Amino acid sequence: MRKIQADLRASLHRIIEAMRPIGMPRVVLTSSFRLTLLYAALFGASALVLAALVWWIATGYVAGQIDSAVTTEIAEERADAGGTLAGLQAVIRAQAGHASPAAYYLLQNRAGQVLAGNLPAMATVDGIREWTLPSGSAVRGRGVAAPEGGFLFVGLAASDLRELRHAIGYAFLWVVAGTLVLAAIGGTVMSFGVLGRVEAISRASRRIIAGDLGQRIALRGTNDEFDHLAASLNAMLDRIQVLMEGMRQVSSDIAHDLRTPLSRHRQRLELALLDGGTEHDLRATLASSIVDIDAILDTFGALLRIARLESRTDPPPFTEVDLGAIAQDVTDAYRAVAEERQQSLDCIVDSEVAVPGNRELLAQLVANLIENGLRHGQCDTAMRILVTMQDGAVVLCVSDDGPGIPAAFHQAVFRPFYRLETSRDVPGTGLGLSLVAAIAQMHDARVTLADNNPGLAVQVVFGRPPLPESDAEPEWLRQAQRWLHRRLPEWYARQATRGVHRAWHGVAYAIARFRQGRGTVAKPRNADQHDQDAR
Amino acid sequence: MNLRILLVEDDREVAACAVYGLIREGYQVAVAADGRDGLLRASCEAWDILIVDRMLPQLDGLALVRMLRAGGTTTPTLFLTALGEVSDRVAGLQAGADDYLVKPFAIAELIARVEALGRRRQAAIVVNTTLRAGDLEIDLLTRKARRKGEILDLQERELRTLEYLMRSAGRVVTRAMVLENVWGFHFQPRTNLVESNISRLRSKIGQASDQGPIETVRGIGYRLHA
Repeated sequence: MRKIQADLRASLHRIIEAMRPIGMPRVVLTSSFRLTLLYAALFGASALVLAALVWWIATGYVAGQIDSAVTTEIAEERADAGGTLAGLQAVIRAQAGHASPAAYYLLQNRAGQVLAGNLPAMATVDGIREWTLPSGSAVRGRGVAAPEGGFLFVGLAASDLRELRHAIGYAFLWVVAGTLVLAAIGGTVMSFGVLGRVEAISRASRRIIAGDLGQRIALRGTNDEFDHLAASLNAMLDRIQVLMEGMRQVSSDIAHDLRTPLSRHRQRLELALLDGGTEHDLRATLASSIVDIDAILDTFGALLRIARLESRTDPPPFTEVDLGAIAQDVTDAYRAVAEERQQSLDCIVDSEVAVPGNRELLAQLVANLIENGLRHGQCDTAMRILVTMQDGAVVLCVSDDGPGIPAAFHQAVFRPFYRLETSRDVPGTGLGLSLVAAIAQMHDARVTLADNNPGLAVQVVFGRPPLPESDAEPEWLRQAQRWLHRRLPEWYARQATRGVHRAWHGVAYAIARFRQGRGTVAKPRNADQHDQDAR
Repeated sequence: MNLRILLVEDDREVAACAVYGLIREGYQVAVAADGRDGLLRASCEAWDILIVDRMLPQLDGLALVRMLRAGGTTTPTLFLTALGEVSDRVAGLQAGADDYLVKPFAIAELIARVEALGRRRQAAIVVNTTLRAGDLEIDLLTRKARRKGEILDLQERELRTLEYLMRSAGRVVTRAMVLENVWGFHFQPRTNLVESNISRLRSKIGQASDQGPIETVRGIGYRLHA
């Protein structure tokens, strides 16, 4: 027991250690900061792409203008020239004469001599070219082959184009830089905010650990993920508190209630040792010792069982069990016992009720309740076991008209080892109802005691079969399936419905799993049942 | 008897206790102290019954039985273990064991269950439609029981109890075995559940005393005379 308490404390300490106070290096480790960096990178990349696009489109447009103007002019001049180099030379001279200073012409013959134009001789390269003149101005134009092996080049000043490029580049440089800076600042601010919240929770938790387990973490009321975290931690603390309380109680109860039979036992053995007696007597003492020890082992076994059920480690296999059938079986078994005690035992099963559960454990639950009634009742006590449906929930009711339990003790009797003063002389361990409570809890059922006037009525109400909400098919889906069945031939309709079922339940399952994190969610049985129905 | 039993158990005291009890009943017992040794001996030598502890060093008892079953060994196996929860028992039976006994156990309980396993081994696979033991007879098809030819008025559970006793005729069955096999209950009742039902059955078959066809073996259980 102490070991378990120590383990609990150790794990809580580990959780708290993980939430150490904020230091500068911790900021960059937060997931929010990393996320912000990711977003900054994404936005930066988007801005770059945008910049590239704008650059390409704008400069392309302007360059395109130049290119088409130049190409048109070249075509005109060639037309005017009439096909000879001399004619072309005359045209170019005329153009160069009265063209704006922004226009550039060059006509050179096969040998590379400049025949006309305002450009120096250049290498004959066909197509669009762009370069900077020695004078510093930028030129963009087209070179074509001229008649008789010559070369004609017509171009326009490209300084506007160059300036456009610079302007766009410059602007977007600022944009990208600005995005990254803003992202970094925003990320840091958010991370500090997040860490601040986490630190608040961890501080509160440390206070709770150091102080009493009764305090809880305050919720900020924003209903965001931190509030949810705080609420979950509070729920966990509730459970830990309950468990620790229970453990403390059981420890002292065990110590108290098992010392008595053990000391009695010891006395008897010691007496036999001192007193001697015949071998027959000694054998008798040994035999009764074994009986005593068996009783103590039984108690320990029951305690272990309760503890394991409550801690929910390694849950037993659950299937759909017929509660009515179980109640009938157990009642039949105990009828013989009731008859011997001149008590009556009756079982009424209202309807076929199926409950998700474990047959063995439920049988033990019913048996414990029946045994309690039989043992504490006297002659002529009548017991009745009833299995029925009430408000859509399965109810098992075991009632008798025996001595009953006073209402004041209805809560206390579920505690391990608790016995009423009035039943101190009835043999029993005091664990029966504790086991009933543990089994009920495992089956999502609630156990309540009530006065049967006279006698006791124990009610076990099983919750609705655990169906995550998203698992129940909505009406529109069902109507869609019916429509499919009407319109399509049988086989296709079946395949289609099965596909729809699978898809729906698959999605619902995925959502439920996501919601419960890594918890175990049973694969919804309905999917397979529907498949069988559809077949 | 002379059936050969291999006991795989690392706790020496428990092993000594079990060995003593089994030898007294005439079985030949060998002990393996860890899982690997147990697996080796179980697969290399011929045994009639295996008794395996679940918590073993070297190789876990569950894995041992699984490997044996996978290798084709069909020897009846009994798990002996301190793990008594429902899920442990289910896991043990699923691994391939035939029975499951929780520590601490009474030697008489162990012997009764070992006898039942041994009987299973020896019995030929003959499907009888009638069970006969002494002057009792059960027609399994019509679900009617007779004693000395007269039909007995038995309810279904009483018939099942009688059937179980007759199938184990000549051997002792403990209360726990009756509870498990007739009702499927795996708990210890706090009342004299089995005793009451057996005495009711006795009165139904017309047995007046403790000794009749259904005999009470003190401190252990019951036995139907063959």
